[in-house]
Amino acid sequence: MEQTVVDVNGLSRSFGSKSALEGASFHAAAGQIYGLVGANGAGKTTLLKHLLGLLRAQSGSVRVFGLDPVRDPVGVLSRVGYLSEERELPEWMRVDELMRYTQAFHKTWDASYARELLETFGLDPAKKVKELSKGMRAQAGLLVAVAHRPELLILDEPSSGLDAVVRRDILDAIVRTVADDGRTVIFSSHLLDEVERMSDHVTLMHHGRVTLSGPLDDVRRGYQRSRVRFNEHFDQPPVLETALAMEGGGRTWSVVHSGSLEQFQHSVLALGGAVVESRDATLEEIFLARAGRSRQQVETV
Amino acid sequence: MLWENWRLTRLEAANRLALGIVGGLAVLVSFRAVAPNDSARDVGATITLCLMIFMTFPLWLSISKLKGGRFLDGYRPGFTLSLLYTRPVRTAVLVGVPMAYLAALAGAVYLVSALVLRWTFGYPFPLLPVAALIAAAHLGQSAGDWSTRSKVVQWLGTMAPVIALGSLARYRWEGWPELFDFSLADYALIAAMGLVSFGVAVAGVARQRRGDAKVATPWTAASAGFPERLVALFRFPCPTSSPTRAQVWFDLKSSGLPVLALGVALAIVIPLLFVITTRLDVVLSGFGARPATRGVAAVVAVLSLPAVLILLGGNAFGIRARQGRTYASAFEATQACGTARMAGLKVLVRSVCLVAALLAVGTSVWTSASVIPFDVLEDDDTLIEKSRAPISGWMRAIEGGVGAMSTNELLALAFVTVIVVAVFVAWRAAHAALRARYPRRLNIAGSVLFLHGFVLVLMALADRRELALDTLADALFGATQWLAAAAIVLATVYLFWRSLAERLLTPRQACGAILVSAAFGVAWVTVLRAAGVQLAAMPTADAAWMLSPMLLTLMASVLAPWSLGRIRHT
Repeated sequence: MEQTVVDVNGLSRSFGSKSALEGASFHAAAGQIYGLVGANGAGKTTLLKHLLGLLRAQSGSVRVFGLDPVRDPVGVLSRVGYLSEERELPEWMRVDELMRYTQAFHKTWDASYARELLETFGLDPAKKVKELSKGMRAQAGLLVAVAHRPELLILDEPSSGLDAVVRRDILDAIVRTVADDGRTVIFSSHLLDEVERMSDHVTLMHHGRVTLSGPLDDVRRGYQRSRVRFNEHFDQPPVLETALAMEGGGRTWSVVHSGSLEQFQHSVLALGGAVVESRDATLEEIFLARAGRSRQQVETV
Repeated sequence: MLWENWRLTRLEAANRLALGIVGGLAVLVSFRAVAPNDSARDVGATITLCLMIFMTFPLWLSISKLKGGRFLDGYRPGFTLSLLYTRPVRTAVLVGVPMAYLAALAGAVYLVSALVLRWTFGYPFPLLPVAALIAAAHLGQSAGDWSTRSKVVQWLGTMAPVIALGSLARYRWEGWPELFDFSLADYALIAAMGLVSFGVAVAGVARQRRGDAKVATPWTAASAGFPERLVALFRFPCPTSSPTRAQVWFDLKSSGLPVLALGVALAIVIPLLFVITTRLDVVLSGFGARPATRGVAAVVAVLSLPAVLILLGGNAFGIRARQGRTYASAFEATQACGTARMAGLKVLVRSVCLVAALLAVGTSVWTSASVIPFDVLEDDDTLIEKSRAPISGWMRAIEGGVGAMSTNELLALAFVTVIVVAVFVAWRAAHAALRARYPRRLNIAGSVLFLHGFVLVLMALADRRELALDTLADALFGATQWLAAAAIVLATVYLFWRSLAERLLTPRQACGAILVSAAFGVAWVTVLRAAGVQLAAMPTADAAWMLSPMLLTLMASVLAPWSLGRIRHT
């Protein structure tokens, strides 16, 4: 049986009159990589902050390693590595001081791994955080987040500020190493190709709700993009049963749809059309289709 | 642009107007109630006038916030409305509109307050002369503030117009109720100052807009508001053997040692100031001038201890402020350290360093006042006499009081002093955290309640020393003291319960807090006895009030982790 690392149920949170999370549920098992995707303001960072205990649940429950991160911050945070979106690190600290300070809180600190990462990133240990560029700051943050080999690694927009080489080669490698060791990674990103490349599971958030969640392969298999030709001319998109998004005009339309292809073909046939070609939808196409529809019910593939 | 300025400042303007009127009314009513004669009531009117003028300063905080909040955290000197550079508007208009608006608004706030109080109480508060002074001071301060990106020039530039205009008012001073009136020539001079200020501001802002002025980087605070250079002054490696040691290192570097360094620097400056001003007075007396500069040194010495306590005792949790937003550092909040331990270490480190700083400054003041002779000059100089009298008086009193104490009593006094500083630091840290977390109204209510309790304790002490208290204050606090006592007790119990329920405090930590409070209680009673207070001979209620600081200690020891928990887990 898979060991549950994160268990979030019916989590709601609002800031003043603005609702950031509405009954969101999210579960993560050990040894998997979870990608959170969603538009700006979808609630990704708010969800991650709840996992770290930086925010209290207004309703619903949050458990990390079976513990409440607000009531037991030491129990949770000693097993978690975190890279914040703002890369907030004390500006007066030097890189080596940052490493020593973080080391003190984690018995599992791997000094040789930390040195290796330091060399890989090309960081000068004598440099102050203040003197680091945005990308280097992200690398320093990543170093102290992973060097104690955390059981759960939480990365909030890890690619932000990283150049393409670091993003593709180093970040991917680090994340994959963590997962291969049987540990868990949860990261948020708005780069869908990155999520598609790195994650085993994908969770789509929209307006504070989890609108789609499941293994990446299942998600991709559950959606197709088909080109449809009708006998008659349509000024408005025709109503098709499983269609999520349509673009085109007249007789030819491109449709992103869920469910089986046979079911979709039947609904097209009923309107006097035919499916010309069909392929698995990309994550970006699924995301745009789902975000555009703003579905309210949670769907698990 | 006028609309923008109005949107930015309207709340602050309303606040200032309300505070001026309500505060003035309170002062006038109080003096009417207790002042024995008209001349004493005139003192109340003068205080009211000062209050109304003070309400229009310093500048407009809601506009200053656009530069990044506090002076030491993210503060970017230069023209506040630099985002307007991209607009197709001439610099003169860009600068002139907000300058004129702020000057007019400040003058209007004063005029309305003065008119309301004139109408309600009949005091002839001056209108046009003071409004003109306020408006001119705002023009001058805006020029000083906006035209340069040098912080030093900026600070001096904002002080200069106030000093110049204050001197003019002093020169024309005729005493209450006439105060001062200006001739046409004076008004012309004030108008000229306003025009020069406008010219200086436009020239300075134009340079900034063109990119000719030196680029200003935000003065980013390393932590808790201390400049990064001060934090970098001390270099010693972070211990990796335990989280507690690492956290102590972090707090020492970012918060404790900068406080100690500032205290030591002040301790060095004070005797130097005494030496320099004494020599200067000797030189000045040779020219027949009134030797008064040593009075400045004496005032600095007298104010140094409370200034160190108040200015360096705040924000021990390192709550940050940027662009009007206050928040706790996510970096620290995500370290695997318990909230109570983190709060305790932060308060402890800051308190120890603050006590050391106070000790350094106190020793410096004491030594300076003892060693440097006060009587080099003629004793008929009243300013020097006035400035030295409190110091020498206090020194004699302290010497007498401390000299009569036994070793145990001295130890108790030292313990009480350290705990009082720690409670002060804890309270201010908690206040900063709660201010960041909760709405302003709630914070004001909490602060008023605490101050109320604090004043009640002071009153109980003053009563023991048979100090006369104003009838009004006596009546006010007498009527509410039991309400305040109940609120403090309930708040302490509630905080204990919540902290234990939320597992912020472990039972061991709670026992530790109770033990420290009990030890403080024992020391406090010892000090009271040494001061001649006989608790057994007092009515029960008075004795309870005398012992109430023990409860404040307990409250602070649980309020600190609770408030840090509130900002750490928002």
